[in-house]
Amino acid sequence: MTDSRAEAVWGRVAAHAATHGRRVSLADVCAVAVKSAQLTGGWLAAARGRDPDFVMCVTDPVSEQLAEFQLTLGEGPCHDVLASAAPVLAADLSDADSVRRWPGFTPAARRLGAGAVFAFPLTAGAIRAGVLGLYRGSPGPLPGRQLGDLLILADAATVMLLDSTHGGAEAEDGSWLDGQPRDLALHRAEVDQATGMLTVQLGVPVGEAFARLRAYAYSQDRRLADVAGDIVARRLRLPRDQGPGGGP
Amino acid sequence: MDTDLLSDTFVDLADTMVADFDIIDFLHLLTDRSVRLLGASAAGVVLADPRGELRVAAASSEEAGLLELFQLQNDQGPCLDCFRTGRPVTATDLSRPPERWPRFAHAATRAGFRTVEALPMRLRDQVIGALNLFRAEPDSFDPADLRIAQALADVATIGLLHERNVRRSETVAEQLQAALNSRVVLEQAKGKLAERLGIDMDRAFTMLRDYARNANQHLTDVARDFVTGGSAEFPPPTRHQPGR
Repeated sequence: MTDSRAEAVWGRVAAHAATHGRRVSLADVCAVAVKSAQLTGGWLAAARGRDPDFVMCVTDPVSEQLAEFQLTLGEGPCHDVLASAAPVLAADLSDADSVRRWPGFTPAARRLGAGAVFAFPLTAGAIRAGVLGLYRGSPGPLPGRQLGDLLILADAATVMLLDSTHGGAEAEDGSWLDGQPRDLALHRAEVDQATGMLTVQLGVPVGEAFARLRAYAYSQDRRLADVAGDIVARRLRLPRDQGPGGGP
Repeated sequence: MDTDLLSDTFVDLADTMVADFDIIDFLHLLTDRSVRLLGASAAGVVLADPRGELRVAAASSEEAGLLELFQLQNDQGPCLDCFRTGRPVTATDLSRPPERWPRFAHAATRAGFRTVEALPMRLRDQVIGALNLFRAEPDSFDPADLRIAQALADVATIGLLHERNVRRSETVAEQLQAALNSRVVLEQAKGKLAERLGIDMDRAFTMLRDYARNANQHLTDVARDFVTGGSAEFPPPTRHQPGR
């Protein structure tokens, strides 16, 4: 049901990188997010604990200021999404709700020319990697179809952020993207369960456990869901001390 | 229908919703009550992710075989049809040809289920998920019982939207994503606990849920603290730190 949709979305990210003659990066995810939802600009920040931390990419100066404002003020949609692991879709910054929720950020954002702000947590369960922020000059909601695509892009940014933090060679090589859409399009409970199991088997935090699980599947040229299924069924244990390419 | 049980169910669900509750735990309560009230063998709540996927939020058992029956329905099955049409979907003998959903029917029959019902979770003109009921017997649910079943599906919808302002459609999407992420936290915690103690996922879920209820904490908070905490000890050795 979703394989081709996720592949189409990731394809746009790869195409964007290709037109700029570089490897796929978070900047491409950011740019495609802005374009696909017909927004004005976007930014991406990594998380430190439950808060957004440093800004990793921006598409324009206004986005940079919107991102920095929230860090300075310690308030805003980006903070809320990391706390709740839910998106914040502020379709109209002039409504009473936005002023009430972010009394410092909202007037500042409007002065910069933002009419709507949409923030997405880059999370996978208990893993908090960062936040994707987007704005539009004019107010108005996100159509459902575009929301779905943005959620898929947020997933892409999450795994890319995790891999750049924990991954090895796989993170540098653009070809690792090839298997990702298929692997991540349809959510499998076994992948989450295997991630939890690996925190114990490998003795690592949950973000690293997820990165190691995916790196192992990639190195063995196997579907992520199949590897996860083997781990959950206790047919496979990942070795604690070896790198992601370690054997069964 | 057992009218005392119906009253108790109504009271339990209402009591939960006026207090501070965890959405995944609430939906589990609802699936438990659905089974008992409707004479079902199993029940589950499936939510429609805007990415284009049906995802199980809670089920009357966390046994892997049952959860798989929900995941299967992304390709075919009563929940998919229910989501697309916005109407209840019934099949009263899955083992009898012609099979509407061959792969799903085969898996459900092997799991011991012959009858299936999917009730839509609707909010105005949007279908946000389904309440999926299974029975071992190959005969349909009583129409009076199905009215209650639809009411339970509606209660699931209301529980999901426990924010006051439901006029904003953005709230639906936000709440849905929060619930889906809570589910992922729970799965990660099940995995960590199952590995730590050498038990199966269903047992791990029960331990997490029972601990949360006894300690009067949100199931999702307990699960998240366990996953992100440095220790794999369970029950956790130190007191829960609020506001972390």
